[in-house]
Amino acid sequence: MITLKVNGKEVTVNDGTLILDAAKEAGVTIPTFCYQAKLSGLGSCRMCIIEIGGQKKLQPSCITPVIPGMEVFTHSPQVVSARAAMLEFLLSNHAFDCPVCDKAGECELQDMVFEHGPRKGSYSETKRVFHEKDYVLSPVIVKNSNRCVQCMRCVRACDEIVGRGVLGALGRGSGQEMTSFLKTQLDCDHCGMCIEVCPCGCFMRKPYRYTARPWDLKGVKSVCPYCATGCRITVEERAGTAVRSIAKEGAGFNDKLLCARGRFGFDFVNSTKRITTPLLKKNGIFEPITWEEAYSVMQRNIKTASGEKTGVIASARLTNEELYLLQKVARTTLKTANIDSASRWSEAASAAFMHAVEVSGKAVTAYGCMDQAAIFILGSQISDENPVTDYIVRIMSNARRKNIIIASPRGMKLDRSAMLTLRHAPARLGALILGVCAAIKEEGADKFAGIKGVDLLGGKTVDSLAKEAGVSSDDVKGAAKRLKASETIALMAGIDMMRNSDGINEMQLLKDMLKVLKKDVRVMPLLDRTNQRGAWDMGVHPAFGPGYSDVSSKGLGAEGLMKKAASEGLDMLYVVGEDVVASYPGAALVKEALKKIKFLVVQDVFMTETAKAADLVLPGAMFVEKNGTVTSQEGRVQRINMLRKPAGEAKDDLEIIAAIGGMAMGGAEFSSDADAVLSEIEKTVTRYSGAAAGVETTEGFLLGDSDAGQAKQASAPKMKETEIIDGAPLRPYHLVTGNHLYYSGTLTAHSKVIGSFISGPVVEMAASEAKKLGLNPGDEIEVTGAEGVKAVFSLRVNSGTRPDVVFVPENYADSPANMFFEAGIGAPRVSVAPRRK
Amino acid sequence: MEPVLLKNLNNPNAYKLSVYEAGGGYKALALALKKNPDELIQLMKDSGLRGRGGAGFPTGLKWSFVPKDFTGPKYLCCNADEGEPGTYKDRGIMDNDPHLLVEGMIIASYALGAVASYIYIRGEFAFGAKRLEAAIDEAYKKGYLGKNILGTGFSHDMYVHRGFGAYICGEETALLESIEGLRGQPRKKPPFPALAGLYAKPTVINNVETLACVPAIVEKGVAWFKSMGPEKSPGPKIFCVSGHVKKPGLFELPMGTPVRDIIFKHCGGMREGRKFKAVIPGGVSAPLLTEKDLDTPMDFDSLAAKGSMLGSGAVVVMDDSTCMVKASYIITRFFSHESCGKCTPCREGTIWLTKILKRLEHNEGTMADVEELERICNNIFGRTFCPLGDGAVMALRGFMKNFREEFVHHAEHKKCMVEGGYEL
Repeated sequence: MITLKVNGKEVTVNDGTLILDAAKEAGVTIPTFCYQAKLSGLGSCRMCIIEIGGQKKLQPSCITPVIPGMEVFTHSPQVVSARAAMLEFLLSNHAFDCPVCDKAGECELQDMVFEHGPRKGSYSETKRVFHEKDYVLSPVIVKNSNRCVQCMRCVRACDEIVGRGVLGALGRGSGQEMTSFLKTQLDCDHCGMCIEVCPCGCFMRKPYRYTARPWDLKGVKSVCPYCATGCRITVEERAGTAVRSIAKEGAGFNDKLLCARGRFGFDFVNSTKRITTPLLKKNGIFEPITWEEAYSVMQRNIKTASGEKTGVIASARLTNEELYLLQKVARTTLKTANIDSASRWSEAASAAFMHAVEVSGKAVTAYGCMDQAAIFILGSQISDENPVTDYIVRIMSNARRKNIIIASPRGMKLDRSAMLTLRHAPARLGALILGVCAAIKEEGADKFAGIKGVDLLGGKTVDSLAKEAGVSSDDVKGAAKRLKASETIALMAGIDMMRNSDGINEMQLLKDMLKVLKKDVRVMPLLDRTNQRGAWDMGVHPAFGPGYSDVSSKGLGAEGLMKKAASEGLDMLYVVGEDVVASYPGAALVKEALKKIKFLVVQDVFMTETAKAADLVLPGAMFVEKNGTVTSQEGRVQRINMLRKPAGEAKDDLEIIAAIGGMAMGGAEFSSDADAVLSEIEKTVTRYSGAAAGVETTEGFLLGDSDAGQAKQASAPKMKETEIIDGAPLRPYHLVTGNHLYYSGTLTAHSKVIGSFISGPVVEMAASEAKKLGLNPGDEIEVTGAEGVKAVFSLRVNSGTRPDVVFVPENYADSPANMFFEAGIGAPRVSVAPRRK
Repeated sequence: MEPVLLKNLNNPNAYKLSVYEAGGGYKALALALKKNPDELIQLMKDSGLRGRGGAGFPTGLKWSFVPKDFTGPKYLCCNADEGEPGTYKDRGIMDNDPHLLVEGMIIASYALGAVASYIYIRGEFAFGAKRLEAAIDEAYKKGYLGKNILGTGFSHDMYVHRGFGAYICGEETALLESIEGLRGQPRKKPPFPALAGLYAKPTVINNVETLACVPAIVEKGVAWFKSMGPEKSPGPKIFCVSGHVKKPGLFELPMGTPVRDIIFKHCGGMREGRKFKAVIPGGVSAPLLTEKDLDTPMDFDSLAAKGSMLGSGAVVVMDDSTCMVKASYIITRFFSHESCGKCTPCREGTIWLTKILKRLEHNEGTMADVEELERICNNIFGRTFCPLGDGAVMALRGFMKNFREEFVHHAEHKKCMVEGGYEL
């Protein structure tokens, strides 16, 4: 600890603290431009210079660490005049086109000059002009360098946070311009991090441009509706149109961090293709009906349906309140335990995963994981699926050298931050983890004798397991060595483990073995739907109730329901917000199954493929049209707020679910008030007790530990591999699927901005393999799977991916990846060929 | 005095290893390798050798900052960027006597325990770079470089790295960035290069002339070295004289030779019929001296006492045909052109100064501009990231302090005071 004086006030701070932060401790704010907490120190703008007792020269407080007994003066006459002088310099070549600048009104340069002067400037020379007209750097970025204050935040953010490094400075001195190398369109992530960090209007949002002044905007705090990282956003609208989604410093755990989907993908809420009235299918054609009619049709069908032959599939994007109420309605009014929150994996796999990642334990945050000495990221294409978690890992590993190990068949951006990457064969993660376990076991096998699951190892050796996983045994041993050498370990486990039902049991074993070695192990799931963790907590699962409580009899999950429907038919299936047709792994089966459902009711905002197959369609609400809470993958409960009323006749989902609940013969009442439901959740799911107050804070409510209701130990079923039949055409590649950085289902499909990043469905393969086949990025490629199913994709290449892997983003409506899949088979084999012209 | 650093300036074949060896070359290396590295560092400390790049930091002390127990690689970088206008002393060594530098660097690397050394040479010095590369090749072949040098077990590699024409890369941390392939901009300090320099490893950066002094000190000893120049900055010094003297050029003289002697004795005095007006003693960043300071000894401390600096030892002499507004404009323009753009005051301030000076020079300025110049100088000085901006201000302040009337004349009478001014 170091004690120093700031403006005469004594403060004690940790060693290595910057003067800037020490001043903050003393309650003094020092103005800054180039400084950003999440970026490396630069010390170039000189706004933060301060006087140190005994030193003649003023020092930059953002890069100067404190020393004992130091006396700092942040507002001495010399400092105050220097600050005004720096601003005068910055303004000397500034464009001063504030009236037409998007940033005006929330511009850091304006604010700084307002506070620190100078009151008048005397610069009378010609100004530096980089260009006459603004130019476009991406579908979402417009550039005006004439406003630049050269703080390099954009360049550093692109490199240090996003990991793309496509921005740099051209020229030198006063002629230095931060831009892309050729000042043309960037091949980047289009995440807009450069825009968010820019202090003045140099980087601007293209879609938002000239649509509003900041003071005209009305906004609500919300949570990004895409992956489960749970980024805090503020959605802002003007005259009924949502124009912007922003993340602000200090507004949530993610501060300014957002990915392309979070920052630009919100515009689906402006889509005109909404379902605005209830629709009933008569003679194969949808006809608009009133809510009364819709409810009476619904009630009639509930009456005749048997609970055994009824099912509910909910989207993991609904709020906790909706999900809680939905499972309650299912279990009472609909008298069924057949309820699930995803249609992409089996209920057995998800149950085993929940136990392995300890969802019923207390919250584990991404920053918390990065406090550990070793971080093992497995079963996740994290850079694509959870971009902001990827940023956090990168930022923290830049700041402190971290022992990061990544296991994935695909290459990804985060590989550069990793000490070790394990490119295992698709759906062979289990073998890889077992290999690591075997390597750990090599010394002191008896230590691990008592562990459940140690028999998974059998007599297998590291070498044989490494071979099975398709990696070198040195790499497997290397991973084991790194884990053994670290006292604190974080496992970040992704949904590929559920997709392929692979590696879950093995990860549980690894965890248990590490615990025997007295390691501090934290586990965090990496999930891709906003409220997947909430859906499990609320008991939207056939095997347990709210808070992982026991249920009298287990029901069927999505997989079970589809199989049952296909074989013996169902009386009723109630689908809320999920597109089963596009996402169930086994397109042929699901189409067959839906035909055999007597009454299919779909509640959604868009006419999805599943909704098209429905008998009754109920228009629900979007995330900006409701109040409620969602639980992130970390176990962070945060509030979403209503920005506007649902479109047309559409209703808040909670209201619809409550109304359906009230259709029981007994006439039970269900509250449709989100706050009332939340307080019921607080009582039923004890880990949520205190959530109503907790969600109001910046950090949100972090779930605590509870004895009541634990995710049960479960075993994930092993998937089969595609059989290789002699004489059949050779299909040399394994197909893997997942979220694309720009594409994650229906919502993105309705985002115009996201749609402008990529045209149509894409397939990704290793750059080396594409070259071998003579294929170039952008070529049209035909992918052929079992029984000749084929679809055409545009080729993208990725340099780190295994050569035997091709990747197709899941749930494209046009060329759905699930057509190549069959339930129970992981990473199916496909062949690729250029499309015949 | 007998030249040490420039002894081969006029020997056209000295760049060849055989010729260099015939003149006693690489004897110092053999001697040095028999000593213990600590002894060598102590020898440098005792000699009182101070860095010839400009700052005059004691070389032995700098070497001693490198942690001895560091287990990873350590590096030596030779700053051969020689970008200060008026300076061409290092070029004289590198073009004509490359082995002198190579030998000095091997000895220094041995003392430091450096695994590799880099010569960061100014991009325009193509000839010098070729000569150095050839010299390094020869040294490898002869076993002065590479594995197990002269059978002592010490191994060392040496590389020539050519710059791309940025003055800022002569600043030691920008030089490191440039070698690493990054944008040439200064780094924040601390950490200092001695602890985390090139590739974040302990690194020493020395000027060419400094390293060229090393073999002679090893061979001839401390007493010989200290016999030249004043007690606190001893040794030989190369002065590169340019400007309005009869005989400009390179002169190797003892440290502390008075400016008057350099101009009037060694350079043959001012051009015919012209009178001395001012002299920049150490490259354009150094404030100028006038007639009254002509007897100042040219060493670090004496010049600092006069408010100027020895800098690189580039002596720029100006006679009475020089318009000081024009001279300061050209110098300030240089600094604004070379400002790297990293920090606000230097980037925005130097270009502002240049624009005002340009107007004054073209007789479009006013008295307010003269005051504005002083105000901007105050706002830049002491607030920049590296010394480049300070250098620009020091130079301009030197002109304005001594020749303010010329600036005022330009502003008030819209014409130059100097009749028949010599075109710079």
